[in-house]
Amino acid sequence: MVTVVTPLPGKSLTNIITDRIKQRVRNKRGPMTPPFELVYRHIFVLPTKFGWGFGVMLIFMALGGLNFNNNMALILVFLLATIAQLTTLIAYRNLSGLKIDSVYAEPVFCGEYAHFRVFVSNGNERQRFAIQAGFRQAQDCKDFKLNSYDSFLLQRPTETRGWLEMPSFRLETRFPLGLFKAWSWIFPQTRCLVYPAPAKKAPPLPKTGHGQSGRATRGDGDEIHGLRKYQPGDSIQRVAWRASARHDELYSLEMETPREDACELDWDSLKGSDVETRLSILTAWVVAADHKQLSYSLILPDTAIPVGKGDSHRSRCLESLALYLL
Amino acid sequence: MKSLPTARLNRLSTLWVVTTLVVSMLPQLVSMPFHLVPITLLPIVWRLIAEFRHWKPIPMIWRVVATVLAVTALVTTYGGLMGRRAAVSMLVLMLSLKLLETFRIRDARIVTSLGLFLCGTQFLFSQGIPMIIYIIACLLSSLIAFMYLQRCEAFSVLGEEPETNRNLLTELGFGASLMALALPVGMTLFLLFPRWGSPLWGLPEDALDARSGLSDSMTPGSIQNLFMDDSPAFRAKFEGGMPNNRDLYWRGPVFWNFDGSSWKVSYLSRNLPADNKPDPKRAFFRYEVQMEPTEQRWLFALDYPALTPRKTKMTVDYQLIASRPVTRLRSYTMASDPNFQDSPVLRQTLLRAALEVPSGFNPRTAEMMSDWRKEAKSDSEIIQRALQYFNRQQFHYTLNPPLLSRHTVDEFLFDTKEGFCEHYASAFTIMMRMAGIPARVVTGYQGGFYNPIGSYVLVRQSDAHAWSEVWVRGSGWTRIDPTAAVAPERVQQGAVESLDQRRYLLDFEWLRSARNTFDLFQRGWNNWVVTFSADRQSRLFSIFGWEFLGPAKLVMAMAGIILISGAIIFLLVPMLLKFRSSKKPDPLLRLWGKFIRKLEKAGFVSHPSMGAMELAANAEGQLEYKGDLIHRIAELYTLCRYSGKTGNEAELTDLINRFQIRSVS
Repeated sequence: MVTVVTPLPGKSLTNIITDRIKQRVRNKRGPMTPPFELVYRHIFVLPTKFGWGFGVMLIFMALGGLNFNNNMALILVFLLATIAQLTTLIAYRNLSGLKIDSVYAEPVFCGEYAHFRVFVSNGNERQRFAIQAGFRQAQDCKDFKLNSYDSFLLQRPTETRGWLEMPSFRLETRFPLGLFKAWSWIFPQTRCLVYPAPAKKAPPLPKTGHGQSGRATRGDGDEIHGLRKYQPGDSIQRVAWRASARHDELYSLEMETPREDACELDWDSLKGSDVETRLSILTAWVVAADHKQLSYSLILPDTAIPVGKGDSHRSRCLESLALYLL
Repeated sequence: MKSLPTARLNRLSTLWVVTTLVVSMLPQLVSMPFHLVPITLLPIVWRLIAEFRHWKPIPMIWRVVATVLAVTALVTTYGGLMGRRAAVSMLVLMLSLKLLETFRIRDARIVTSLGLFLCGTQFLFSQGIPMIIYIIACLLSSLIAFMYLQRCEAFSVLGEEPETNRNLLTELGFGASLMALALPVGMTLFLLFPRWGSPLWGLPEDALDARSGLSDSMTPGSIQNLFMDDSPAFRAKFEGGMPNNRDLYWRGPVFWNFDGSSWKVSYLSRNLPADNKPDPKRAFFRYEVQMEPTEQRWLFALDYPALTPRKTKMTVDYQLIASRPVTRLRSYTMASDPNFQDSPVLRQTLLRAALEVPSGFNPRTAEMMSDWRKEAKSDSEIIQRALQYFNRQQFHYTLNPPLLSRHTVDEFLFDTKEGFCEHYASAFTIMMRMAGIPARVVTGYQGGFYNPIGSYVLVRQSDAHAWSEVWVRGSGWTRIDPTAAVAPERVQQGAVESLDQRRYLLDFEWLRSARNTFDLFQRGWNNWVVTFSADRQSRLFSIFGWEFLGPAKLVMAMAGIILISGAIIFLLVPMLLKFRSSKKPDPLLRLWGKFIRKLEKAGFVSHPSMGAMELAANAEGQLEYKGDLIHRIAELYTLCRYSGKTGNEAELTDLINRFQIRSVS
């Protein structure tokens, strides 16, 4: 899917006006808590640019028809005008009754796009066509069959770590003829966690394990762990002949994989850098350690996360990095 | 919310846009000069091939060159851009050329909208019943085109084609249902929308196509051309009595001036007003004429018109001349007095004009007429003799008379002896003048088809006719139809029936009669729709008792209606919708809310996530001295809410209403 997300538009007049209106709507309506159904007072309808142009054309046609008292031309104009008027209702109905079930976002690293998923479901009232979603620009478009659900994907660039509040977005439709747009502002209460950007040239992972790193794993390995009684199935090459000769019993060598050093990712080990650089180096380390499936612990001035590994450990570490001092 | 500005057309919408354009062009293509048709179609064909072969738009410079070439062809064909046909042809050509660069949604919308505009312009040329089909076809295809364009635009944000699994039937159903829903309101608007009594700007005079009809000159062959044309000239519905078919002489242009080859309208007769008009009270025939546009200024009436329609003058020779060419269907009420005596006394200037013969033409006729003059005792004898001459000699009434050269009357009378009504009228009039009897040529229509179902007379262009009038001292101008002397059946049965030959391949009697019968629908359509005007509208309003509404009051009334209906729409509809969309709040929940508000006043902070008992437990902790009461209320609420039994509501209401807390502050 090709999605173009343009940078946030600057403060143009229309944007300022839109923001004002949005603010008023928001004050009146308050943020939404899903599930949330679009009803009459949430939906606005206005002509599109094309709609205005079409209206002007109709006015000219009506003037000509009235001037020449050309009744068939007038019938055409009146029919078109009525159809255009009718499409306002159709556009409104296309949106009204749509239910927003939930909005959520996976955490991302700073600099990546935050992906907000808006889950929407349609009841059995009517089919819906070409419903767009987007912040200022439309980013996604979906049809809804009867009793169906789907999700819109909305993207937003991230610039700083921490919580990114999802800005208000609109659901919009210009169905059926594109003459009118019906839209609804939605003020979600969803936020996206933005991790610090991992440093590109991070120093190598520190190998400063501190005892709690657990035992080495026994089994096949390069280093000798000890002896044990021979068991059928042990490789003949592993038989410790000398020891066996001494004890009249067969012993085989037990091997082990050497214990990995647990890394200790310590804030204080990064002296002389500013806060954000340190955070991004720590982030890079967490990512690297997780990638190598090492166990690691994270020590920040205000928190210390004990050694661990796995997805939930990683999220915990990254979250405390993201929210450090926020 | 913006979509991608670069949104491109997909194939489906392109095809529908092209369809709309072609459909809306059809009537214009048919009536364009033939060589312009391929020029117009070429860009359309190119665009279609480009769609399937994925061609790129051609460079700007070539588009400009193509436009310049096409416009040059158009201008040289029409000799300029004046006139409606030329202007609309220009529009068609430009729209077609626009397709060369129509690859974006924006352009496609412009093309489709202008296709509808083009559809509107076509009604300047015809408002016949077939145009109903045209209007429906244009609307349907444009609605579908707009729908697909919208779809294409909406899904362009994904950079992929919209999913479409619709077939032609659902598409047409979509358009048709939109139209059907719009029809009642559209027709109401049609009836009630304020009309203008008089136009703000006029039509160009050459507006219509080289429409056939009687014109301001008569040359041999001019009426003969009309004879091939079966299009209606006008319809007349009589109130009460109707004349015999052979007395249906519809008077049109009257000719006084003959230059040797053609008859011309004289300035004098055209500008002198009638001295003496027939008395409308004594007019025997009363009828309503619904006249097709002619681009000429003559209105038609039976001899002798007693009424002068609006913005029309009656001339000294009883032509009805409108102040502007009739460029659209026009209705007028007319009364005719067949017994009226036209100019028993003729003034000198007119007498001279009615006797004038160009010198140096037709010597043989002049000779014969001077012989007749000598032999005759009275004018009426000469007239009778002339008619007998036509009747007894071997004269033929034919569609294909031989060509005549310089001495047209001589050649016709003595050599060819074959001719059409105009030959007879012209020759007879010249004969009379040469014999010293004032005479003039009258053109118009003779006869008509009486449609028994609609009980009206339909007069077609093929009923065009020419006859003579001679001035007889004492009784004034008298109608003489020399054609009747040669072919009486022309006057009794009509021009087409009086000929043995077929005019063209598909000229069958049954076809003509079927067409005459079906004209009924066209007349009704004309009557109810095409001629609906400000007058008719005020007559409609008079049903409601708004008889004296002028245009200003009408506008005010409309504004009032719009305001009231707007108020209804903006106030009532939201209320209805609100009523429907929001369920009635639950009384128990309202009561509970009241309780929470009372707690909050005392400084207690509640969270929406708290259940009733949880909330109570929290509140008890904070407001210990009311602890038991709070607990009891929460218990009761839980009972009412979840136990499914009733009976505790009254106590709960009472407790909550009496619940009082001193403010903590």
